[in-house]
Amino acid sequence: MSGTQPVIVLDRVCKNFGAFRALTNVSLSVSKGEKLVVCGPSGSGKSTMIRCINRLEEHDGGRIIVNGHELTKDSRNIDAVRREVGMVFQNFNLFPHLTVIKNLMLAPRLVRHKNKDEARAVAMKYLERVRIPNQADKYPSQLSGGQQQRVAIARALCMNPEIMLFDEPTSALDPEMIAEVLDVMTDLAREGMTMVCVTHEMGFARSVADKIVFMDAGEIVEAATPEAFFTKPQTERARQFLSQILAH
Amino acid sequence: MADLAAWGDDFLLGTLVVLKVFVVALIMAVIFGLIGAAARLSRNRIVSGLAKVYVVTFRGAPEIIILLIFYFGIAVSLTALVQYFDPATKFVDIPPFWAGSTAIGLIVGAYMTETFRGAFLGIDHGQVESAYALGLSKFQTFFHVRVPQMWRLALPNFGNHMLSIMKDTALISVIGLEEITFVAQMATSVTRQPFTMYMTVALIYLAITTLITFGVAALEKYANRHLRGAR
Amino acid sequence: MTLDPQLILDSLPLIAQGLGITLKLLFYSSLFGIALAVITLLMRISGRWYLSWPAQAYIYFFRGTPILVQIFIIYYGLPQFGFIRNSILWPILREPFTCCVIALGLNSGAYVSEILRGGVLGVDKGLTEAGKALGLSSPQRFIYITAPIAIRLSLPAYSNEFISTLKATALASTVTLMDVTGVARTLVSQTYAPYEIFIAAAILYLAFAWISYVALAWLEARASRYVKKGN
Repeated sequence: MSGTQPVIVLDRVCKNFGAFRALTNVSLSVSKGEKLVVCGPSGSGKSTMIRCINRLEEHDGGRIIVNGHELTKDSRNIDAVRREVGMVFQNFNLFPHLTVIKNLMLAPRLVRHKNKDEARAVAMKYLERVRIPNQADKYPSQLSGGQQQRVAIARALCMNPEIMLFDEPTSALDPEMIAEVLDVMTDLAREGMTMVCVTHEMGFARSVADKIVFMDAGEIVEAATPEAFFTKPQTERARQFLSQILAH
Repeated sequence: MADLAAWGDDFLLGTLVVLKVFVVALIMAVIFGLIGAAARLSRNRIVSGLAKVYVVTFRGAPEIIILLIFYFGIAVSLTALVQYFDPATKFVDIPPFWAGSTAIGLIVGAYMTETFRGAFLGIDHGQVESAYALGLSKFQTFFHVRVPQMWRLALPNFGNHMLSIMKDTALISVIGLEEITFVAQMATSVTRQPFTMYMTVALIYLAITTLITFGVAALEKYANRHLRGAR
Repeated sequence: MTLDPQLILDSLPLIAQGLGITLKLLFYSSLFGIALAVITLLMRISGRWYLSWPAQAYIYFFRGTPILVQIFIIYYGLPQFGFIRNSILWPILREPFTCCVIALGLNSGAYVSEILRGGVLGVDKGLTEAGKALGLSSPQRFIYITAPIAIRLSLPAYSNEFISTLKATALASTVTLMDVTGVARTLVSQTYAPYEIFIAAAILYLAFAWISYVALAWLEARASRYVKKGN
């Protein structure tokens, strides 16, 4: 199922916030088409790790190579990575001053230099994919949380990314809206997108992930297939985490 | 009322002067405010420190003192400068229009500095992050994401600053610009009807400030159109 | 053009002679302003149109016109009417000092009333409901629940308004009062050193604005003792 060539490589990545060690020697590789789910208690460094992949955070040590570009201070590499990697945030971060369709058209027009009609066509295509083409001319504040998050996914897809990062995409949603977002993500996974998801949705992880990475205190504690992780966790920390999260 | 009618043309011309000072001072205030805000947010301690001093002095000192420093101070400086080249010069007069507009522009610019800075900091950082994640450059993020959201946040205060500029224009009569308060002083000395004359000035100001208030309210409605139906 | 720091220092004690009048103006007009503001606020929230309408008209007029014009209307304008010159109020309205206190107080009252209203509107409705549920009467709820919280919420904005009134006292110099600005203007006409003397005056105002600011910040901190601090 997963290809052979790695598209994301993290090699002993470290990140500090002042005296706080957010990431310690995190090494990881994701192959093309692979779906990786990252889980762990809050404050374990999951979000920091995923945000380092498109350099919303700068790592302090180690190397990060995405699609053949090493992330350094060189802004050309950062631009290249951000063009090829889409990201979905916990709080959607839709631009409140733009309508849904304009949210989707902004980056293709500015970054890919598409003309208005092309950008609109692409935007409508992805709005249909996330099943809300009829909301195109509304402002984000007029949509429900689930709809906003689907728009945010469509916005990232409009850049035609090769990799999608999801940073707790359902954590800010009411329970009845979680399913509609996970459905869209599952569709995306079936189509072969390379995905890295930070999430607490263990049902989604079990059905979609090729590999589960469990983090705690800034380190990768376990990396295994869902089958192995859920049935025979190797460490006490992972067992504890699973028992807490599955108890509900 | 007949006395007032006789001065109608002077009041009309005076009103035009007020509006001209308003426009010039507003443009200056926006420019000083943007520069000030950029300086206040600068990582360079000296630059942000200087901007802070600018804000504290121009907001803390009375408007009339700043105006007088500008008007008399610049006149004295210019005179000294011109006398250096041409010792025969007695005194250089500077136009009260420009001294007044610049002084008001600098004063209100100090208030705008804080408004723009607050608006800039008021934008959710996630907005900037998601623009970066989509591959927008810093420049593109500034103009397409930050500025459109900033002006909505700045608008209510901005409206108040416009009213301040309008009301501060009355001070320029003190340095002899022939705007409406000055016209009223002239008219009073002839007609001996100070209440009628100054009340006319007040009503002209009231009409203009009312228009500004309505204008800003309409702009706010436009700027907040995307919040319709927000829960 | 060189600035003479010695002259600034030398003129400070001379200008400080005007400090007494400036502070008296500030004290009386702030007090008068607060009294007016409270009355106006009560009229506005009374729910009776014949009370709230005049209150709104008062606020609208004094916020929409320049303070300088308001001072001129009261000092120069009112004596136009014989009945005022013959009334028992004439000894008050004849004096520039009392006229300035009235004008500044009326002006500040209009602004403070709006600030207080903002504070009242900011009080959580649940608290007055809790008061109702406990059987408190409407005046009791206002005095024991709404007012103390509204005052705390209003203090930051009041601090700005107080400093605005301080700056506005400088306009008293236009009606012959020898406040800080009046003394400075007289000195300038004698020495013709506008930079030094007006800067010295500005320093006095800035120093007093700073003292007021710190004092009001302390008051605010005291009034907020029971508010849970954010982390």
